[in-house]
Amino acid sequence: MAITESPRFVRADGPDKVTGSGRYTADMNLTGQLVAKFRYADVASARITRLDVSAAKAMPGVFAVITDEDVPDVHYGSPVPDRTLFARDAVRYEGEVVAAVAAVDAATAQSAVDAIVVEYEALPIVADLEASMAEGSPLVHERWETYDVGDGTEQRPNVASFSSIEKGDVQAGLDQADHVVTSRYEADGTHAIPIEPRAVIAQWEGDKVTIWTSSQVPFDARNGVCETLQLSANRVRVIVPHLGGGFGGKCGFHFEAHVAALARATRRPVKLVFSRREEFLAPDRRRESMIIDITTGVRNDGTITARTGWVAVENGAYTADSAFFPQLSAMHVAGPYAIANVFIESSLVYTNHQPSGSVRAPTAPQACWASESHNDEVARAIGMDPVEFRRRNLVDEGIEGPSGQVYGDIGVRRCLEAAVEAAGYGDDLPADEAIGVAVGWWPSFPGPSGAYIKLDGDGSGQIITGAQECGTGSVMTLRQLAADELGMDAEDFQLVYQDTSAAPYDTGATGSQTLLNNGRAVVESAKEIAEQLRELAADQLEAAAADIVLAGGNAHVAGSPDKSVSIPELAGIAAGGELLIGKGSGTPPEYPSASATCVGDQGMAGWAGPQFSCHAIRIRLDRETGVVRVLDVFAAHDSGTIINPVGARGQVEGGIMMGIGQALTEGTRYGDDGRQQNPALLEYKLQTAADVPTIHTTFIEVPDPNAGPRGAKGVAEAPNVPTAAAIANAITKLIGRPVRQLPMTAERVWTTSNTGSEQGGES
Amino acid sequence: MSFLIAESLDDALAAIAAGARPIAGGTDLVVGARHGKEALPDELVAIDRIDQLAEIGPGPGGIRIGALVTHATLMTDPLVVAEFTALADAAALVGSPSTRHVGTLGGNVMNASPAMDTGAPLMVLGAVADLQSVGGSRSVPLDELWTGPGTTSAQADELLIGVTLSSAPQRSGSAYVRLEYRRAMEIAVVGAAAAVTLGDDGTIAAAEVALSAVAPTVLLVEGVGDALVGRDPESAASAAAGLAGEQASPISDLRASDSYRRHCVGVMAKRAVVAAARRAAGEDIAVPVNRSIGIGAA
Amino acid sequence: MSESFDLEVNGVAYPVSVDQSRNLLSVIREEIGLTGTKEGCDDCECGACMVLLDGQPVNSCSYLAVQAQGRSITTVEGVMQGDEMHVLQRKLLEEGGVQCGFCTPGMIMSAHALLDRTANPTPEDVRIGLSGNLCRCTGYAKILAAVEHAAAELG
Repeated sequence: MAITESPRFVRADGPDKVTGSGRYTADMNLTGQLVAKFRYADVASARITRLDVSAAKAMPGVFAVITDEDVPDVHYGSPVPDRTLFARDAVRYEGEVVAAVAAVDAATAQSAVDAIVVEYEALPIVADLEASMAEGSPLVHERWETYDVGDGTEQRPNVASFSSIEKGDVQAGLDQADHVVTSRYEADGTHAIPIEPRAVIAQWEGDKVTIWTSSQVPFDARNGVCETLQLSANRVRVIVPHLGGGFGGKCGFHFEAHVAALARATRRPVKLVFSRREEFLAPDRRRESMIIDITTGVRNDGTITARTGWVAVENGAYTADSAFFPQLSAMHVAGPYAIANVFIESSLVYTNHQPSGSVRAPTAPQACWASESHNDEVARAIGMDPVEFRRRNLVDEGIEGPSGQVYGDIGVRRCLEAAVEAAGYGDDLPADEAIGVAVGWWPSFPGPSGAYIKLDGDGSGQIITGAQECGTGSVMTLRQLAADELGMDAEDFQLVYQDTSAAPYDTGATGSQTLLNNGRAVVESAKEIAEQLRELAADQLEAAAADIVLAGGNAHVAGSPDKSVSIPELAGIAAGGELLIGKGSGTPPEYPSASATCVGDQGMAGWAGPQFSCHAIRIRLDRETGVVRVLDVFAAHDSGTIINPVGARGQVEGGIMMGIGQALTEGTRYGDDGRQQNPALLEYKLQTAADVPTIHTTFIEVPDPNAGPRGAKGVAEAPNVPTAAAIANAITKLIGRPVRQLPMTAERVWTTSNTGSEQGGES
Repeated sequence: MSFLIAESLDDALAAIAAGARPIAGGTDLVVGARHGKEALPDELVAIDRIDQLAEIGPGPGGIRIGALVTHATLMTDPLVVAEFTALADAAALVGSPSTRHVGTLGGNVMNASPAMDTGAPLMVLGAVADLQSVGGSRSVPLDELWTGPGTTSAQADELLIGVTLSSAPQRSGSAYVRLEYRRAMEIAVVGAAAAVTLGDDGTIAAAEVALSAVAPTVLLVEGVGDALVGRDPESAASAAAGLAGEQASPISDLRASDSYRRHCVGVMAKRAVVAAARRAAGEDIAVPVNRSIGIGAA
Repeated sequence: MSESFDLEVNGVAYPVSVDQSRNLLSVIREEIGLTGTKEGCDDCECGACMVLLDGQPVNSCSYLAVQAQGRSITTVEGVMQGDEMHVLQRKLLEEGGVQCGFCTPGMIMSAHALLDRTANPTPEDVRIGLSGNLCRCTGYAKILAAVEHAAAELG
């Protein structure tokens, strides 16, 4: 197949994806494969009084029906081991798996699921974040006090984890203020909505299982299988075929163990494919709802004298990877501002809803929306332009931030200026238009990571990496890093990735960390091969290895480009002797220290490679209906050095559209029965191609020495952070008061505008 | 399940008389079955190849739009766009390009959803439903056809073969406007259609307004003629908004509260009257109004 | 009840014998074995299952396979022109309009239908033409640019 290569960066997996030849998990089938289906709780909170699978088991074509009794007795979850693979005794959210069926086809499996008898005794439904934290509230986990949380904080009703940031003396700070502004904001939960619903296939051979799964974090998925089915790591091989997006929704360990258990019970390969409805209801990764109270003391000159915050973050029924959300949300309530006196406390609260987890910049868009809306309220209270107010308080090089971290060279102020200048902030606009501005930040996440590279005898390369490509292109960009080290072209490399038995560990497509960490590993691998090539070339060219330069596909002697040998020739020589193999991992960048006092420290107060962003967004409001249309987004981002500009812009554009959805149309609605009312794409409204604004992206490239290759930081999550906040500030300019509930639906905007009712709390 | 592809109208009517359900594009049936709303019928007869049902042209009593005419055709057909513009507005807003290519007017009408976009335009344009069975044919005004959400007065053996509309007098125009939270892939939260004829002095000489998604069926607003005639378009539009808000009996659901719906349907009625009057005065407002003027403009 | 008929996909007539209730998507994927067409929802809301039926875009998840007999179906696998990529495929790669790729086949089919019926689409035509295909990765911007550039190249 002749693929016309373009001069621009083209993804290695691009041809697979545009021709339809790329295989995603649901596209694969194995001989003898059975179909898996789950029986879900379908009630939000109840005790199981009867569970009878005998009729289902007896049905023709049904190979297995398994429940809690059929898997090892393991409570899992880190740091709170609060769950089991299958419901035991009680169900705590509607999408909890009660039983799993493997049958000859989907219809038979569904019939068997329907034939399972489950009887319940209703338990109270815990749904209100504030009420559930009060003494005497019904507990989502009856034996909560026996769980080992291990963070040393006092256990409170339904609070899965707690953290605070405390610095200075907030009372003294408030006493110095000319104005004190208090706000409450509430955000509804949302969903990641990868367009690919997840799929899992498991096949046992002897005592080893291979699992193909649509996971963003194959090593995490493997570890979950190992923990719950009690297998060693080398008996579980997780392979991720092409992955149809994740956005955090496919982080963590989900249903791999359920399917593996079915495959073991039936001695057959078993395949699970989720419907869109299941994708809405069952996974333990959705974006958390939040309540945010903020109080700020401010002097008339714009100086913030103190900030206090109280945050409740919805955990849902079980603790997925959410334990660090309190401290992360507290950082976003503080924001990238130099505030001397800070006291923010944040709690992760159990409810009988779907569990929350790391969806693209968890807690940040909501908390940023609240704090940046609040900052505009503070600016209004002293009659100061909100951009000027930010100029007076933003952190900068050498300045101490809200958690006591002192920053190096950072681009936050340049982001603000670039965005407002591009937007023409301050120019006259039509009466139904306004520009809102918000600043956001997001950490980078250093961590362990590994890769191998080999050059085969013809000089073509393979990068074998533990990193996971979820669509962002970050794994694709690794080719460029290897090529640059070896004086080769990116197209000289193919990638072998997302196979836990082939490649060394990586955290996966989570925390925007692939390029940051795996980039380091790939560069180190390439350096090893470069060393080998220089030794080989030194022999051939009769020069010292240290004088060999790798460039343009050749090795030549420094200063004598004519004295050269091609890399394929060197590879051919190596193929008959010591093979060209490189390995890399390297030491992750350190987490900086933060001087604030943090009760229940979750490691989120000192940020390595902090990313900064500013969005200035022009909207139009239909005043009669409250419908908001986003016209232009001016985005400026400091994500350090940008290695793949096309890919990075794609991250910004995608993050912004997700942010617009979250701002205006996306939100999960729950009924009094604790069940989702809109688990379908007709009623849970994503933005469409017809809604796209013009997006103008500027990168403020400030290389960060304590981050990834060439000073690169992460970029995938940051664009999602300030979008809703900027839209909110534009809406407020047009209607005179903030909409205190997210999403800011047309009806909420109209209601806020016309009745004076500020839904969600008093100002 | 049995499935027959009808080659002719007679084939189709015979199959329907024998108990088969007609299927054109089939989207609603297939999606409904998948969601467990209603199982696929045991007997289906595909009518999508009966070419005579896909025609638009003169018929007995006016212009006949065949039941198989798709939304994609309605939104671009020169006759529909010129004479029955509100219907083109509505068709252009339905779903996505693919649902507009597959979805038919007949399917829409017989689904009898009060939220259907084409319903209010058909009402204000005075359309009648042409039903045929092996036993004969009859024409039914739409407000008699639609008896409730998802129910019609058609007999089980009757097939909708089309709707018939009469051309309006000179200086007439129509428009359909709906509330939408995003610019595509929407379902009407509320919508309003207006058909207006202007007098020589530019005031309203005749008018009808109908509403989507604020009652168990598409609602023809009563008293519009009396209230609007003789007024200039702007004040007529305000009057229409008032009547719409009064007569609507919306529900609260995921998409909107009843009070917001009641308010917004008035806004939509006002905008529909204004747009219809502008068209009646000769202004060319491209189909659909939603994406030509106001918040949804490109 | 099962029915036997020929289904013409990408110019090849495939004899199939399937239950009459089967949707076109499942028959294309499971019986014919072309998995480029994806399932992203089950109610015409995402567009991942888009195919062309006699040249018009259709959500194959919500169309009965038996209704497609006698008609001509094009899937993403039928878009290549011999060994050459279609200009839409090429432009999507060049512009960076592909990320996870799961919406890509459906996008290509909708864009194909748009360019077939509209020679010189305006930016608004392209936005509306692709509005039935959800993408969560790209924010659409680079997809829209790719289709506009493809249209320009086709003239």
